[in-house]
Amino acid sequence: MSELERDRREIAAVLQQPGVHPDPSLRITRRTFVHRSCVVGAATVAETFAWWPLLNTLDIAYAAEAPFKFAWISDTHLYPKSLNTRFVEKTVRAAKEVQAMSPPADFLIFGGDLAQLGKVEELELGVEILKEINIRKVYIPGEHDWYLDMGKKWGELFGQPHWTFDHKGVRFVGLDTVSRGPDYWTARKMSPEERMGHMATLDGTVAGAWAGVGRDQLDWLQKTLANWDRNRPVVIFSHNPLYEYYPPWNFWVRDWREVNEVLKPYTKVTNIHGHTHQVLYNEIGTMRSIGMLATSWPWPYAPEGVPKLTKPMIRVDPGDHFDGVGWAKIDVSAQDKVEAEYIMWRKQVFAQSPDDYAKSIPEVLRPRIADNIWPY
Amino acid sequence: MTAPITRFILFRATPAVALAVLVGPAGAHKDPVTPQLLNSYQQVFMEQVRKGDLLFHGDAATEQAMDVVLSKTGMACAMCHPMTADTHPATFPKYQAQMAKFATLRDMINWCIEKPNQGEKIADDSEAMKALEAYIYWSQSGSVLNPGKF
Repeated sequence: MSELERDRREIAAVLQQPGVHPDPSLRITRRTFVHRSCVVGAATVAETFAWWPLLNTLDIAYAAEAPFKFAWISDTHLYPKSLNTRFVEKTVRAAKEVQAMSPPADFLIFGGDLAQLGKVEELELGVEILKEINIRKVYIPGEHDWYLDMGKKWGELFGQPHWTFDHKGVRFVGLDTVSRGPDYWTARKMSPEERMGHMATLDGTVAGAWAGVGRDQLDWLQKTLANWDRNRPVVIFSHNPLYEYYPPWNFWVRDWREVNEVLKPYTKVTNIHGHTHQVLYNEIGTMRSIGMLATSWPWPYAPEGVPKLTKPMIRVDPGDHFDGVGWAKIDVSAQDKVEAEYIMWRKQVFAQSPDDYAKSIPEVLRPRIADNIWPY
Repeated sequence: MTAPITRFILFRATPAVALAVLVGPAGAHKDPVTPQLLNSYQQVFMEQVRKGDLLFHGDAATEQAMDVVLSKTGMACAMCHPMTADTHPATFPKYQAQMAKFATLRDMINWCIEKPNQGEKIADDSEAMKALEAYIYWSQSGSVLNPGKF
């Protein structure tokens, strides 16, 4: 049995015990079935694609004292303008659309990976583009923002990488899941650029299991939630998903067990995360988890571990750089509803048939080798 | 009375055929394979895989050494295809909608170089193409061959 398989069995044994679910008020309701993609496609498609609940309508009890919306943008991966204008165009478009929301969103959460290689120029370009948005903005870091100067510039621009605030009856928490990677650079005498290069390669083998919350931040999270009613909603923003989806690409945090321990008493926890650049939905213990789109490019689903509760996104046209990417609106209504809506710029969001899902052709993949044998 | 002669011919011919199969035709240029020989073939292959892996991941030094420009946008193949995911080499040749033609894996590689990466097309029989192909097939060698599958 591979290490991955062992981990998977463990997560299933620990977290997916019979009878343990998010609070019933968090469960997906009938209302979620009424969506244009279902109306159009449901009658003709294969079973698993026909009825899986959609992500855009989710209920949270006690959610809001007053209705409000907030917006999510992440994973813009900006290069300097001189190198890549497509990523700039798409970030500009997302920013304009968020600013145009009517009524306006209460705040924007930027979910990390503003820059591609952590350069000052890239981070400042991002700040410049996001100036278009006049509402409150909060930020969490991604690994691409961090590992050139170990978060120095990011900290100057955006402050603390983890934070909390209460807004209209919901406790919001921003976590830093990127800065506690194990040191792979000192012994190898890497330059900051080399360190960043390995971190910026999703399928690299050198940076290892860098995604994690860390004991210190877990203690902080526990303290932060200690005075919060266990039956009131908590929304946690993180760059990486807080469960184990696919560790070779850091589609997880390595200390998911400890995160689960801290969150276990709270019955209405929603985690919204970036990094995976794809439509994702999962329920782990009492927490549910929603993965957001990137504006830059879509990652393929991992060869294994896609949560069974995920209704997959549609196969993307690689010739159209506006396809498979976008941002999200999250609407918290006075009727205790939270609607997370993917704003994808092309086509339907969800696969309509197995053939629309890229993983309808199974793949068995080997991890890369050259970054281990090349003399870095 | 032909039967005895037939039997005679069969009797004489069979060992000769068997012998020919065992030692190969006269003048065969190929020595029997040895573990060392197999190992050397494997090394040739893995060297191509290594180069292909580096090209696939946008390694500037390898691109320069092989005189190719696979991208001008900072994008590398592996940014949409980590561990070669969603390349589906085992489904080629097939009708490829982007190109609106029946395409090979090499056609697809060049399409990706030219369109999403905005790089320069490489020759079908170039060293870089063979290395990219070697890496993709190696990484996906557990996937099931399914030519034509969309």
